[in-house]
Amino acid sequence: MNIKESLKKILIEELNLEDLTPEEIEDDAPLFGEGLGLDSLDAVELVVLLEKHFGVMVKNLDEGRAAFQSINTLVSFIEERVVQS
Amino acid sequence: MMADIGKKNDNVAQWTARSVGSRFQHNFFYFIIKHGGRQTAYCFLSFIVLFYVLFKPSICRKADYYLFRRFERRCLAQRLADNYRLCLNLGKALIDRAVIGILGEEKLTIEFRDKEKLFDLLKEGRGLILMTSHVGCWQAAMSALRFLQTPVHLLLLREEGDIDRHYFEHAGIESPYRIIDPTGYLGGVLEMMQVLRAGEILCVMGDRFLSGRKGSLAIDFLGGKALFPISSFKIASATRAPIVVLYSHKSGPYNYALDIYDIIRVPSDVGKHDQDFLPYVQKFALTLESYTTAYPYQFFNFYNMWIEDLQIVEKKRGILNEHQGKPEENSY
Repeated sequence: MNIKESLKKILIEELNLEDLTPEEIEDDAPLFGEGLGLDSLDAVELVVLLEKHFGVMVKNLDEGRAAFQSINTLVSFIEERVVQS
Repeated sequence: MMADIGKKNDNVAQWTARSVGSRFQHNFFYFIIKHGGRQTAYCFLSFIVLFYVLFKPSICRKADYYLFRRFERRCLAQRLADNYRLCLNLGKALIDRAVIGILGEEKLTIEFRDKEKLFDLLKEGRGLILMTSHVGCWQAAMSALRFLQTPVHLLLLREEGDIDRHYFEHAGIESPYRIIDPTGYLGGVLEMMQVLRAGEILCVMGDRFLSGRKGSLAIDFLGGKALFPISSFKIASATRAPIVVLYSHKSGPYNYALDIYDIIRVPSDVGKHDQDFLPYVQKFALTLESYTTAYPYQFFNFYNMWIEDLQIVEKKRGILNEHQGKPEENSY
């Protein structure tokens, strides 16, 4: 399973999005607000699950702002950190 | 214990950071403090508060949300006296805050016996969430935290119309704490987590949420269900930072005391649902209840935190009293 697929599954499981399937989550749709509809409390969970499942840490606001745009940006963020480590 | 969060609730008034008085009134008091001292300012304040309590029913209404639940049934005279006392104390707290900035920190004594506890908690290296409320003079409390020699970050909303000056603004010095804007990107949660991961101090108000009911839980507080925010508890769980409940109260004419009411630890595996945080938020609400028991006229959250309408509470009390055969003449 590639990072994108496992990320979608983890998001559904950890962020209580059980009414969605991985296929229904669009790669370029915004994660917060419209799109996936996550909120600031979900952002806390997102930071934690990135560490728990992928071993990558969101160190500051700028990193988070860039990474938390969509599934695609989140996958790029994970891949970059995984390669670096 | 948990009320239905999903239902739309129109009873909960939205609070605003706008100041009650005009800019002129604020500047008048700053002038009086500078040239006449604190007691002169208190003296002017007593007349102004009397005017507000007698002729500005909107102010009384805001105070009533709390007073009604704290003191239950009271006659009109008692109600006005309670309003006067509460508003006067709020005014004094604001004057004291300005006194620190205008006349100097030495004009106010702040007693804090639990310094060692804070040092020990900071040594854990997970940062510290200082959770306070709109009680006493929280800015006096903040000014007393310098001994920790650790950066302090404050989650604070400043709106247009909020013309109160912070004590450091009076003194013309650099802010002793960095402000995190809760209306910023993702409500500031990324910045808050960054602060805690750096082992620094995050100061939040535990008794006020920003808008709507999302991100809040209905918790037992002073005989009703009141809404409390849960974001700090989620962040505490994610970072494993301890939450220190810290309140200040005016303990004398020139003195404030700071006390740790509780240390709340939220486990990292607490759960994924908002309701899983309920015991921890309830723990916080209990500390606030205990504070209002000890210092009933130093709780300054002038908006409706409760989800139950005052008239419904009044009605329930009426029915209860009828059953108990109590007289109705003290009806609120």
